[in-house]
Amino acid sequence: MKDETSQVEQRVKRYWYSDGIGELMGGGMFFLLAVYFSLQQYLGDRSLVGGMLQAGFILFLIGGVFVGRRVINIVKTRITYPRTGYVEYRTNNKNANLMRLLSFGVAMTVAMVSVFVVRRFDSIDAMVAVTGVLVAVIFTVKQGLTSGVGRFYFLSATSLVLGGLLSMSGFARGYNLGLFYGLMGIALAISGGLTLRRYLQENPMPTEAVNE
Amino acid sequence: MSDDLRGLNDLDRLIHEPARLLIVTILSAAASADFLFLQREAGLTKGNLSAHLSKLEEAGYVKIEKTFKGKLPLTVCKLTAKGQKAYTAYRQQMQMFMDKTG
Repeated sequence: MKDETSQVEQRVKRYWYSDGIGELMGGGMFFLLAVYFSLQQYLGDRSLVGGMLQAGFILFLIGGVFVGRRVINIVKTRITYPRTGYVEYRTNNKNANLMRLLSFGVAMTVAMVSVFVVRRFDSIDAMVAVTGVLVAVIFTVKQGLTSGVGRFYFLSATSLVLGGLLSMSGFARGYNLGLFYGLMGIALAISGGLTLRRYLQENPMPTEAVNE
Repeated sequence: MSDDLRGLNDLDRLIHEPARLLIVTILSAAASADFLFLQREAGLTKGNLSAHLSKLEEAGYVKIEKTFKGKLPLTVCKLTAKGQKAYTAYRQQMQMFMDKTG
Protein backbone atom coordinates (compact mmCIF):
# COMPACT_ATOMS: atom_id res chain seq x y z
CA MET A 1 0.00 0.00 0.00
CA LYS A 2 2.88 2.30 0.87
CA ASP A 3 4.29 1.86 -2.65
CA GLU A 4 0.96 2.63 -4.32
CA THR A 5 0.50 5.71 -2.15
CA SER A 6 4.02 6.88 -2.99
CA GLN A 7 3.27 6.37 -6.69
CA VAL A 8 0.17 8.54 -6.48
CA GLU A 9 2.08 11.20 -4.54
CA GLN A 10 4.92 11.21 -7.07
CA ARG A 11 2.44 11.41 -9.96
CA VAL A 12 0.99 14.55 -8.38
CA LYS A 13 4.51 16.02 -8.05
CA ARG A 14 5.39 15.04 -11.63
CA TYR A 15 2.32 16.86 -12.92
CA TRP A 16 4.12 20.22 -12.55
CA TYR A 17 6.65 19.09 -15.18
CA SER A 18 4.16 17.41 -17.53
CA ASP A 19 3.80 20.41 -19.88
CA GLY A 20 7.48 21.48 -20.16
CA ILE A 21 6.58 25.11 -19.44
CA GLY A 22 8.96 25.27 -16.47
CA GLU A 23 11.85 24.11 -18.66
CA LEU A 24 11.01 26.62 -21.39
CA MET A 25 11.05 29.37 -18.78
CA GLY A 26 14.31 27.97 -17.34
CA GLY A 27 15.76 28.02 -20.86
CA GLY A 28 14.78 31.69 -21.15
CA MET A 29 16.50 32.44 -17.84
CA PHE A 30 19.63 30.63 -19.02
CA PHE A 31 19.65 32.70 -22.24
CA LEU A 32 19.48 35.88 -20.16
CA LEU A 33 22.40 34.64 -18.05
CA ALA A 34 24.31 33.90 -21.28
CA VAL A 35 23.75 37.48 -22.45
CA TYR A 36 24.63 38.79 -18.99
CA PHE A 37 28.01 37.01 -18.75
CA SER A 38 28.96 37.70 -22.38
CA LEU A 39 28.10 41.39 -21.99
CA GLN A 40 30.06 41.62 -18.78
CA GLN A 41 33.09 40.07 -20.46
CA TYR A 42 32.73 42.38 -23.46
CA LEU A 43 32.33 45.56 -21.40
CA GLY A 44 34.88 44.68 -18.70
CA ASP A 45 34.69 45.36 -14.95
CA ARG A 46 35.99 48.92 -15.23
CA SER A 47 33.26 50.32 -17.45
CA LEU A 48 30.23 51.87 -15.75
CA VAL A 49 27.72 49.46 -17.33
CA GLY A 50 29.99 46.47 -16.62
CA GLY A 51 30.30 47.50 -12.95
CA MET A 52 26.55 47.98 -12.70
CA LEU A 53 25.96 44.57 -14.24
CA GLN A 54 28.29 42.96 -11.72
CA ALA A 55 26.70 44.76 -8.76
CA GLY A 56 23.19 43.91 -9.90
CA PHE A 57 23.73 40.18 -10.32
CA ILE A 58 21.85 39.11 -7.18
CA LEU A 59 18.95 41.45 -8.01
CA PHE A 60 18.93 40.05 -11.54
CA LEU A 61 18.73 36.48 -10.20
CA ILE A 62 16.03 37.16 -7.57
CA GLY A 63 14.00 39.26 -10.02
CA GLY A 64 14.38 36.59 -12.70
CA VAL A 65 13.11 33.83 -10.41
CA PHE A 66 10.19 36.00 -9.23
CA VAL A 67 9.16 37.09 -12.74
CA GLY A 68 9.75 33.58 -14.12
CA ARG A 69 7.43 32.06 -11.52
CA ARG A 70 4.72 34.61 -12.36
CA VAL A 71 5.05 33.99 -16.09
CA ILE A 72 4.89 30.19 -15.58
CA ASN A 73 1.66 30.63 -13.61
CA ILE A 74 0.13 32.86 -16.30
CA VAL A 75 1.07 30.45 -19.10
CA LYS A 76 -0.14 27.40 -17.13
CA THR A 77 -3.45 29.19 -16.46
CA ARG A 78 -3.94 29.53 -20.23
CA ILE A 79 -2.54 26.19 -21.40
CA THR A 80 -2.40 23.56 -18.65
CA TYR A 81 -5.14 24.19 -16.11
CA PRO A 82 -8.05 24.26 -18.61
CA ARG A 83 -6.77 21.03 -20.22
CA THR A 84 -5.67 18.79 -17.36
CA GLY A 85 -6.51 20.68 -14.18
CA TYR A 86 -5.02 22.81 -11.47
CA VAL A 87 -2.84 21.69 -8.56
CA GLU A 88 -1.45 23.90 -5.84
CA TYR A 89 1.66 22.49 -4.22
CA ARG A 90 2.66 22.74 -0.58
CA THR A 91 5.57 25.11 -0.30
CA ASN A 92 6.60 24.93 3.32
CA ASN A 93 6.33 21.35 4.43
CA LYS A 94 9.22 19.86 6.39
CA ASN A 95 10.26 17.42 3.65
CA ALA A 96 10.52 20.15 1.02
CA ASN A 97 12.66 22.29 3.31
CA LEU A 98 14.84 19.32 4.18
CA MET A 99 15.23 18.49 0.48
CA ARG A 100 16.21 22.11 -0.27
CA LEU A 101 18.74 22.07 2.55
CA LEU A 102 20.10 18.73 1.34
CA SER A 103 20.34 19.99 -2.27
CA PHE A 104 22.17 23.11 -1.09
CA GLY A 105 24.54 21.05 1.06
CA VAL A 106 25.30 18.58 -1.72
CA ALA A 107 25.76 21.40 -4.27
CA MET A 108 28.16 23.31 -1.99
CA THR A 109 30.17 20.18 -1.17
CA VAL A 110 30.44 19.21 -4.84
CA ALA A 111 31.42 22.79 -5.72
CA MET A 112 34.17 22.91 -3.08
CA VAL A 113 35.56 19.52 -4.08
CA SER A 114 35.42 20.54 -7.76
CA VAL A 115 37.27 23.82 -7.09
CA PHE A 116 39.94 21.90 -5.18
CA VAL A 117 40.36 19.34 -7.94
CA VAL A 118 40.12 21.72 -10.89
CA ARG A 119 42.62 24.21 -9.41
CA ARG A 120 45.31 21.63 -9.78
CA PHE A 121 45.10 22.03 -13.56
CA ASP A 122 46.15 25.48 -14.82
CA SER A 123 44.71 25.07 -18.30
CA ILE A 124 41.15 24.54 -17.03
CA ASP A 125 38.54 27.28 -16.45
CA ALA A 126 37.41 26.25 -12.97
CA MET A 127 34.38 28.55 -12.94
CA VAL A 128 32.58 26.94 -15.90
CA ALA A 129 33.53 23.42 -14.76
CA VAL A 130 32.11 24.06 -11.28
CA THR A 131 29.00 25.70 -12.78
CA GLY A 132 28.49 22.58 -14.91
CA VAL A 133 28.74 20.35 -11.85
CA LEU A 134 26.43 22.60 -9.77
CA VAL A 135 23.74 22.78 -12.44
CA ALA A 136 24.01 18.98 -12.91
CA VAL A 137 23.58 18.40 -9.16
CA ILE A 138 20.55 20.70 -9.04
CA PHE A 139 18.93 18.89 -12.01
CA THR A 140 19.62 15.49 -10.46
CA VAL A 141 18.78 16.14 -6.81
CA LYS A 142 16.13 18.85 -6.94
CA GLN A 143 14.38 17.87 -10.17
CA GLY A 144 15.19 14.27 -11.05
CA LEU A 145 15.10 12.53 -7.68
CA THR A 146 12.14 14.44 -6.24
CA SER A 147 9.92 14.25 -9.33
CA GLY A 148 11.14 11.02 -10.92
CA VAL A 149 11.14 12.69 -14.37
CA GLY A 150 13.82 10.99 -16.47
CA ARG A 151 14.66 13.87 -18.83
CA PHE A 152 16.22 15.84 -15.96
CA TYR A 153 19.00 13.24 -15.77
CA PHE A 154 19.69 13.87 -19.46
CA LEU A 155 19.86 17.63 -18.79
CA SER A 156 22.12 16.91 -15.84
CA ALA A 157 24.48 14.88 -18.04
CA THR A 158 24.40 17.65 -20.70
CA SER A 159 25.46 20.18 -18.07
CA LEU A 160 28.36 18.00 -16.92
CA VAL A 161 29.59 17.41 -20.49
CA LEU A 162 29.26 21.10 -21.46
CA GLY A 163 30.96 22.27 -18.27
CA GLY A 164 33.80 19.80 -18.83
CA LEU A 165 34.32 20.63 -22.51
CA LEU A 166 34.06 24.41 -22.14
CA SER A 167 36.45 24.42 -19.18
CA MET A 168 39.16 23.35 -21.63
CA SER A 169 38.11 25.63 -24.51
CA GLY A 170 40.57 28.44 -23.73
CA PHE A 171 37.92 31.19 -24.16
CA ALA A 172 37.75 34.13 -21.75
CA ARG A 173 35.80 33.24 -18.59
CA GLY A 174 32.77 35.48 -19.33
CA TYR A 175 32.37 34.10 -22.86
CA ASN A 176 32.84 30.57 -21.53
CA LEU A 177 30.05 31.05 -18.99
CA GLY A 178 27.94 32.78 -21.64
CA LEU A 179 28.42 29.81 -23.96
CA PHE A 180 27.62 27.35 -21.18
CA TYR A 181 24.36 29.08 -20.25
CA GLY A 182 23.47 29.68 -23.89
CA LEU A 183 23.91 25.99 -24.81
CA MET A 184 22.12 24.84 -21.66
CA GLY A 185 19.33 27.29 -22.54
CA ILE A 186 19.02 25.58 -25.94
CA ALA A 187 18.98 22.13 -24.27
CA LEU A 188 16.24 23.26 -21.88
CA ALA A 189 14.26 24.89 -24.68
CA ILE A 190 14.43 21.70 -26.78
CA SER A 191 13.47 19.50 -23.81
CA GLY A 192 10.64 21.83 -22.76
CA GLY A 193 9.47 22.39 -26.35
CA LEU A 194 9.24 18.67 -27.12
CA THR A 195 7.45 18.02 -23.83
CA LEU A 196 4.98 20.84 -24.49
CA ARG A 197 4.32 19.57 -28.03
CA ARG A 198 3.59 16.06 -26.75
CA TYR A 199 1.44 17.45 -23.94
CA LEU A 200 -0.65 19.52 -26.37
CA GLN A 201 -1.06 16.54 -28.73
CA GLU A 202 -2.17 14.25 -25.91
CA ASN A 203 -4.42 16.80 -24.20
CA PRO A 204 -6.64 18.82 -26.51
CA MET A 205 -8.69 21.64 -24.99
CA PRO A 206 -11.94 20.17 -23.56
CA THR A 207 -15.07 21.36 -25.31
CA GLU A 208 -17.11 21.66 -22.11
CA ALA A 209 -15.99 23.26 -18.85
CA VAL A 210 -15.58 20.81 -15.97
CA ASN A 211 -14.98 23.23 -13.09
CA GLU A 212 -18.43 24.72 -12.82
CA MET B 1 -12.58 -14.31 13.65
CA SER B 2 -8.96 -13.50 14.54
CA ASP B 3 -7.99 -10.23 16.23
CA ASP B 4 -6.10 -9.26 13.08
CA LEU B 5 -9.20 -9.44 10.94
CA ARG B 6 -11.38 -7.85 13.63
CA GLY B 7 -9.10 -4.80 13.42
CA LEU B 8 -10.47 -4.20 9.92
CA ASN B 9 -13.86 -3.38 11.46
CA ASP B 10 -12.36 -0.22 12.94
CA LEU B 11 -11.22 1.09 9.57
CA ASP B 12 -12.69 4.42 8.46
CA ARG B 13 -15.12 3.13 5.81
CA LEU B 14 -15.54 6.55 4.32
CA ILE B 15 -11.88 6.52 3.30
CA HIS B 16 -11.66 2.76 2.72
CA GLU B 17 -13.83 2.92 -0.43
CA PRO B 18 -11.30 2.69 -3.35
CA ALA B 19 -12.38 5.80 -5.28
CA ARG B 20 -12.50 7.96 -2.15
CA LEU B 21 -9.15 6.56 -0.98
CA LEU B 22 -7.64 7.63 -4.29
CA ILE B 23 -9.18 11.10 -4.02
CA VAL B 24 -7.90 11.56 -0.47
CA THR B 25 -4.42 10.25 -1.41
CA ILE B 26 -4.20 12.71 -4.30
CA LEU B 27 -5.34 15.58 -2.09
CA SER B 28 -2.89 14.62 0.64
CA ALA B 29 -0.02 15.01 -1.85
CA ALA B 30 -0.94 18.60 -2.75
CA ALA B 31 -2.13 21.73 -0.99
CA SER B 32 -5.23 21.63 -3.20
CA ALA B 33 -6.41 20.34 -6.57
CA ASP B 34 -9.30 21.21 -8.84
CA PHE B 35 -12.19 19.06 -9.99
CA LEU B 36 -10.72 18.44 -13.45
CA PHE B 37 -7.40 17.22 -12.10
CA LEU B 38 -9.12 14.90 -9.61
CA GLN B 39 -11.41 13.57 -12.31
CA ARG B 40 -8.52 12.75 -14.63
CA GLU B 41 -6.21 11.32 -11.98
CA ALA B 42 -8.90 9.22 -10.31
CA GLY B 43 -10.43 8.16 -13.65
CA LEU B 44 -13.97 8.94 -12.48
CA THR B 45 -16.96 10.42 -14.24
CA LYS B 46 -18.16 13.89 -13.30
CA GLY B 47 -21.20 12.55 -11.42
CA ASN B 48 -19.24 9.86 -9.63
CA LEU B 49 -16.56 12.29 -8.48
CA SER B 50 -19.20 14.79 -7.34
CA ALA B 51 -20.93 12.12 -5.26
CA HIS B 52 -17.70 10.99 -3.57
CA LEU B 53 -16.59 14.56 -2.92
CA SER B 54 -19.98 15.39 -1.38
CA LYS B 55 -19.61 12.47 1.06
CA LEU B 56 -16.10 13.56 1.99
CA GLU B 57 -17.26 17.17 2.39
CA GLU B 58 -20.20 16.12 4.59
CA ALA B 59 -17.78 14.27 6.87
CA GLY B 60 -15.62 17.39 7.07
CA TYR B 61 -12.68 15.65 5.38
CA VAL B 62 -12.62 17.86 2.31
CA LYS B 63 -13.28 21.56 1.75
CA ILE B 64 -14.61 22.59 -1.67
CA GLU B 65 -14.33 26.16 -2.92
CA LYS B 66 -15.35 27.79 -6.16
CA THR B 67 -12.72 30.29 -7.23
CA PHE B 68 -11.04 31.90 -10.24
CA LYS B 69 -7.50 31.64 -11.52
CA GLY B 70 -7.33 34.65 -13.81
CA LYS B 71 -10.53 34.25 -15.84
CA LEU B 72 -10.61 30.48 -15.41
CA PRO B 73 -13.33 29.19 -13.07
CA LEU B 74 -12.06 26.47 -10.75
CA THR B 75 -13.66 24.14 -8.23
CA VAL B 76 -10.80 23.64 -5.82
CA CYS B 77 -10.76 20.78 -3.30
CA LYS B 78 -8.59 20.67 -0.24
CA LEU B 79 -8.06 18.08 2.49
CA THR B 80 -9.01 19.57 5.88
CA ALA B 81 -7.02 18.97 9.08
CA LYS B 82 -9.70 16.45 10.10
CA GLY B 83 -9.39 14.71 6.72
CA GLN B 84 -5.59 14.62 6.94
CA LYS B 85 -5.82 13.13 10.44
CA ALA B 86 -8.31 10.50 9.31
CA TYR B 87 -6.17 9.59 6.30
CA THR B 88 -3.02 9.26 8.42
CA ALA B 89 -4.90 7.06 10.93
CA TYR B 90 -6.27 4.92 8.11
CA ARG B 91 -2.80 4.39 6.65
CA GLN B 92 -1.40 3.44 10.04
CA GLN B 93 -4.23 0.95 10.63
CA MET B 94 -3.75 -0.62 7.21
CA GLN B 95 0.01 -0.81 7.68
CA MET B 96 -0.44 -2.51 11.07
CA PHE B 97 -2.89 -4.97 9.57
CA MET B 98 -0.53 -5.80 6.71
CA ASP B 99 2.47 -6.16 9.04
CA LYS B 100 0.52 -8.59 11.22
CA THR B 101 -0.85 -10.67 8.37
CA GLY B 102 2.48 -10.60 6.51
